[in-house]
Amino acid sequence: MSGSKEISRRELLKAATVAGIGGMTLGFGKAGIAATAKEKPAAPAKSTKKVLGVDVIKLGGQGVISGAHADYGWQIQSGAVLAIDEINAKGGILGSRLELKFMDEELKPAVAVKNARYLATDWGAHLLFGVDSSGSAMAVGPILPELDRICVFDHASTHRLTEELVYGKGIKQIFRISVPVYQESNLAALIFKEFPNIKRWAGIHCDYEYGYSTWALFKDTLKKLRPDVEFVSIAWAPFWTMDFSSHISAVMAANPDGIIATPWAGEGVMLLRQALMLGVFDKIQAWFQCMGASVDLLEGISNEVGAGKFKDKLWATARYIHNYPNTPENSVFVANFRKRWNRLPNYSAENAYSTIYVFKAAIEKCRSLKTADLIKAMEGLKIMTPAGERFFRPEDHQAVYNVPGGRVMKDPNYPIPILGDLKVFPAQAYYRNPPFQALTMGK
Amino acid sequence: METLVFQGLVGLSVSMYLWLLAAGLTIVFGVLGVLNFAHGSLFMLGGYFTFTYYGLWGVDFWLAIALSLLSVGVVGYFMERFFLRHIYHMEHAYQLLLTFGFILIFDDAVKMIWGGVAKIPPMPGFFEGTVSVVGRPFPVYNLFIIGTGLAVAVVIWLLFEKTWWGKMVRASASDREMAGAIGVNIPTLFTGVFVFGAMLAALGGALGTPVRVVAPGIGAAMIIQAFIITVIGGLGNLKGAFVGAVIVGTLSAFGILLFPVFELFLIFLIMAVVLLLKPQGLFGGG
Amino acid sequence: MKTKLAILLIVILLALLPVYAGKYAVYVVIHILLLSIFSLGFNLLFGYTGLLSFGQAGFYAVGAYGCAKILLAYPSLLVGILGGVAFTGVVSLALGVLCIRHTRIYFSMLTLSFGMMIFSLAWKWRDMTGGDDGLVGIPRAPLEIPGLFSVNMVPMENYYYVVLAFAFLAIALFYRLVHSPMGLTLQGIRDSETRTACIGISVRKYRLISFTIAGLYAGLAGALLPPLESTVTPPLAHWGHSAEPVLATLLGGIYSFSGPIVGSVIFYLLKDIIVRFTEYWQICLGIIVVVLVMGFRGGVASIFKRKGGRP
Repeated sequence: MSGSKEISRRELLKAATVAGIGGMTLGFGKAGIAATAKEKPAAPAKSTKKVLGVDVIKLGGQGVISGAHADYGWQIQSGAVLAIDEINAKGGILGSRLELKFMDEELKPAVAVKNARYLATDWGAHLLFGVDSSGSAMAVGPILPELDRICVFDHASTHRLTEELVYGKGIKQIFRISVPVYQESNLAALIFKEFPNIKRWAGIHCDYEYGYSTWALFKDTLKKLRPDVEFVSIAWAPFWTMDFSSHISAVMAANPDGIIATPWAGEGVMLLRQALMLGVFDKIQAWFQCMGASVDLLEGISNEVGAGKFKDKLWATARYIHNYPNTPENSVFVANFRKRWNRLPNYSAENAYSTIYVFKAAIEKCRSLKTADLIKAMEGLKIMTPAGERFFRPEDHQAVYNVPGGRVMKDPNYPIPILGDLKVFPAQAYYRNPPFQALTMGK
Repeated sequence: METLVFQGLVGLSVSMYLWLLAAGLTIVFGVLGVLNFAHGSLFMLGGYFTFTYYGLWGVDFWLAIALSLLSVGVVGYFMERFFLRHIYHMEHAYQLLLTFGFILIFDDAVKMIWGGVAKIPPMPGFFEGTVSVVGRPFPVYNLFIIGTGLAVAVVIWLLFEKTWWGKMVRASASDREMAGAIGVNIPTLFTGVFVFGAMLAALGGALGTPVRVVAPGIGAAMIIQAFIITVIGGLGNLKGAFVGAVIVGTLSAFGILLFPVFELFLIFLIMAVVLLLKPQGLFGGG
Repeated sequence: MKTKLAILLIVILLALLPVYAGKYAVYVVIHILLLSIFSLGFNLLFGYTGLLSFGQAGFYAVGAYGCAKILLAYPSLLVGILGGVAFTGVVSLALGVLCIRHTRIYFSMLTLSFGMMIFSLAWKWRDMTGGDDGLVGIPRAPLEIPGLFSVNMVPMENYYYVVLAFAFLAIALFYRLVHSPMGLTLQGIRDSETRTACIGISVRKYRLISFTIAGLYAGLAGALLPPLESTVTPPLAHWGHSAEPVLATLLGGIYSFSGPIVGSVIFYLLKDIIVRFTEYWQICLGIIVVVLVMGFRGGVASIFKRKGGRP
């Protein structure tokens, strides 16, 4: 009895498996064939009335949507969706509407590359954007010429992306809309140059390239501006550090006046909470949290800021902050984002939102979806965005715009802290310019 | 000198989280013979439940912790009763694989329920404040963690040495068949032990919430630390787990202070060396 | 006979792939071939010798970084790939001597720690490995024998055939291996160490051979990667990556020859397709793993065999 039941179960499973594998192979082959068709340049125009020759412009995005840094992927996606819906409501770009596919890069370069390949060659994306991690960006950048697609990087901050790959190797398909790592480090140096009492600096940094570059640049720039400073202690924290107490107490043993820190997102929240517990803000004069004005971090320390626990000593910046600049574009963007998602936009959201409008401007300028034409249209492009006016400088395709730093403080107009006491410098003051010298990142 | 003492004390508080994590893993392995890959996920769930009860619903902090223990206990019950129980007789490899499958399920489940963003509740007021240790401020909270870790160690010792239940558990651990023969209800006992281990993990996760975020993937990150500790101390050896946790926590703290280039490499090297020279661990008997 | 026909059909389909399939499909098949090689080697250790390694990704990474460093200095495809494999062979032999001193859970933990040590080295030794950025700009070097011929590998289809050739070779070699006396010996060791030792077999020697071969296969899979992706990064050595051949083999069937290959196809395609529609691919995979362990430990292969090997 059980024998016949088992056999029929096996038969059923056998059939199901065969059908499943067969179906997948067929579907895959079909997708493959369809992809081949898509690669042919002279595809029959779906609608001869459309200027661009297609009904739908496909945008392929990716970001981190899992793990301790998952908010950033969500923000990129949300900012992009907001922009796409706005543009589609007004008739799209030259009559063609926009469609988005967003994938998880899992903070792994191999996955980011696979996503880029899938989006470009199989799904048919005309343009790519996103990418949170620098490692992923360095892996995706070099394959863009093979894919013949532009990718606008929204977060990945390594200077090497634009300095080595665009300026050095001439990979023109790479554009970056967000300000890279030298912003927070050089900006911090510029801010604290004006504090003569803060002489002894310590660092708590990410134990990967982002932390190394920030610390190296900060030391380099500050030492030039203030020869009297010393760098007294450094602690390195790898990914997934949950407990920074040991790091904090190690650097505090050296009695620093100021601390600069890079752990970001959830790790940044933990670092600051644990620093508060250890009474750090009673002893030091200033703490600069590099990506501290990021919305998820501000949300995480909101109560503590409100209660004045940081004693006005917490400084921060981000790649865009919701309360700067005070322009109509920014206010409208923030208001619409809040209405749609019931949260304030992070810099990743603003970057992605602006990316879509950059695409729109470029496409309208050259009236084409060909990568070569779009590259020409985007180089040297000046465009007004919520973060201010951006200029894509042709030397390394890096967008130049202003981001201030400031003190983290409560403001009755916002549900989460803002940056106040803003220190604004012209972007040229902290951007690196060609010819670029490689950074020596000794620890 | 004061710096070393202070750093050591900080390291000790880190050790206590690791101890809470490793204790449950060790008990489950020692009694049931199962190395639960998903143990770190139970730790993570403890944090998530506390975030919800205390952070979102405003339940009293201590009550929230108790509720979290119960909630994770329920999850542990289902894991053991319906899945693990059926594979005790299989090779260790399958147990590792099954519990690895649970890591994947839990990671996505928490993402579906709580979202992908890292969560942290507000800090309870009574944890603020510091005491002066060698002239530097040491958080009351960290002292509390150290105290809790030590208390748990004592309670577990009392439980297994002095109570009737503890004796049954130890008997079943050393000879399952014999214990069954003299009337111990092995399946029920095992479920109880697994749930106990799960609640210990949850306690660690719950207590950490004021200063640690919970996010999908944290369970998988923590289990490796737990493996390292239990290997160093001796798989299945509770005393070893405690000492192992203290070693790992304090060594890492000193490493950060004295060798800022302290490497992950070293901790895995120690793990490998212990496995090669004395696989039963520092305290494992023959 | 039916099997031979099926294999012939598959070979023909694979040989003609670039003709009828798109670029992305070719890319995916290359990755499936790499995972198949990786999983075959893993299963020699697990299915045939009874040792569960959670550190195979370490050898994969050694092969990948080895090939990458060679190609960056001397861009010749065969030199890079074979050099990477050879280097991995040395490393896996050395580590094997240490690892096979234990079995069961201690073996698994030992392989986990060695794999993670390789991961830490890859991450921290910036000067050598590029650190967390990895090695970038690895050329898809031409397939050449100096003086005889040189084939340009830039079109992915060309490289696909190189990978296919290596895959066929690896599978054929594996077939010979497991159907040889050595294959039987390994299974004897898996089933009963004491009995096998009693008949005079050096258990340690065979375990070491099995371990080294598994490492070589992982190294081959790894060495074939850099010319494809032009970048190698530390996550290649992480234990999460070690889990892939484990899951693929479990899926396909631990106690069958083709299990790792079938499992690699299913595993890779499943994940590739699931992520297009949802971000929640882990729970799908996790449920499949749980179902397999609870009910179908022989994997997919056991569904096709009435007497499905071991329970």
